[in-house]
Amino acid sequence: MSFINYATREIQLKIVYYGCGLCGKTTNLQVIHQTIRDEAKGSLTSLATSQDRTLFFDFMPLTAEAVRGFKTRFQMYTVPGQVMYNMTRRLVLRGADGVVFVVDSQWDKMQQNLESFANLEENLRLQGDSLDKIPYILQYNKRDLPAVAPAKYLEFVFNNRGGVRRPSVSAVAPRGEGVFESLNLVARLVLNRFVKQHGGKENADQQFQLA
Amino acid sequence: MAFVLVPKDVQRMHIVLNQLLLRADAQGCMVCDFSGHVLTEVGFDCHDPMLISALGAGVFAASRELARLLGENEFSSVIHQGEKRSLFICAVNNDILLVTVFSNSASVGLVKLYARPAVAELRALFAGIQERGDSRPSNEQSFVLNDPKEWFGSPVDASAP
Repeated sequence: MSFINYATREIQLKIVYYGCGLCGKTTNLQVIHQTIRDEAKGSLTSLATSQDRTLFFDFMPLTAEAVRGFKTRFQMYTVPGQVMYNMTRRLVLRGADGVVFVVDSQWDKMQQNLESFANLEENLRLQGDSLDKIPYILQYNKRDLPAVAPAKYLEFVFNNRGGVRRPSVSAVAPRGEGVFESLNLVARLVLNRFVKQHGGKENADQQFQLA
Repeated sequence: MAFVLVPKDVQRMHIVLNQLLLRADAQGCMVCDFSGHVLTEVGFDCHDPMLISALGAGVFAASRELARLLGENEFSSVIHQGEKRSLFICAVNNDILLVTVFSNSASVGLVKLYARPAVAELRALFAGIQERGDSRPSNEQSFVLNDPKEWFGSPVDASAP
């Protein structure tokens, strides 16, 4: 749920990185944190196990000059990918305005990717939302590894809901490839929906067309 | 759906929070929502309110699930007690939380005592805000997006020294 404060001229929106265990969600936030200028970011906080696996969530606030006359704050979260932490995923997903679904492109991770995608649909349904309504993009990560599925195959499997195509990005997150593209795409979708919902106008050149 | 706060709402919240701060001898008070957004705060000068809000909302949500596991409807409040500072979190309604940080020279009992009327006032205020809905105030123009290239500025070169 977004939040508009006319007293402080501030808009807050929540973006959640979702996907199976070890698909690269935390790496996305780490790369954004390393590369974005200091004025636009807060500290990156990770609630992780001793093995650096996300236990509760990673969190980082980002500030953007996205809406004229307002400071736009994006609250960036990751969920824990491991199957057993589903209750935690539900808590973190609450009130999300947009989702980046990170797919591990390796063949042997397909089952886990599919389970995580189904889990996202189910958890959205439980909070009265759905993938038809919420802005989301797909990030096909780990494209540099040897045994990866072709992008066309991933598009067919994950980007074919009801014949509607969502934006998708190929990524190698540790090298930063596709990370900012994903951030910009999801931010555009979220803000375009926000502006539409609140009676604003999108300029044609700012409007993001779905693929 | 969005929470829309106008200056009058924020002024009223500041009055309630400042009163609680004074009466309970607390160091900082914050109103946040269950998604982790900070709605307003007073006194958090040397702490990051956004991080406290994100973690506080997470802690409270987790404690609710624990309550359900134990057959309780909910734990209405959560207290974290430290050596120098403590934290008190309680629900205002199903969407909003009140977070209070106080030093251990203040009493937990006083914080809990004065948090109760503060919660009642905030609950009434938010009932009005939710009833009003998320429409734009009449004196405000509609939102206009800036050029996306300017949103996050240019990323810095991570490899640069």
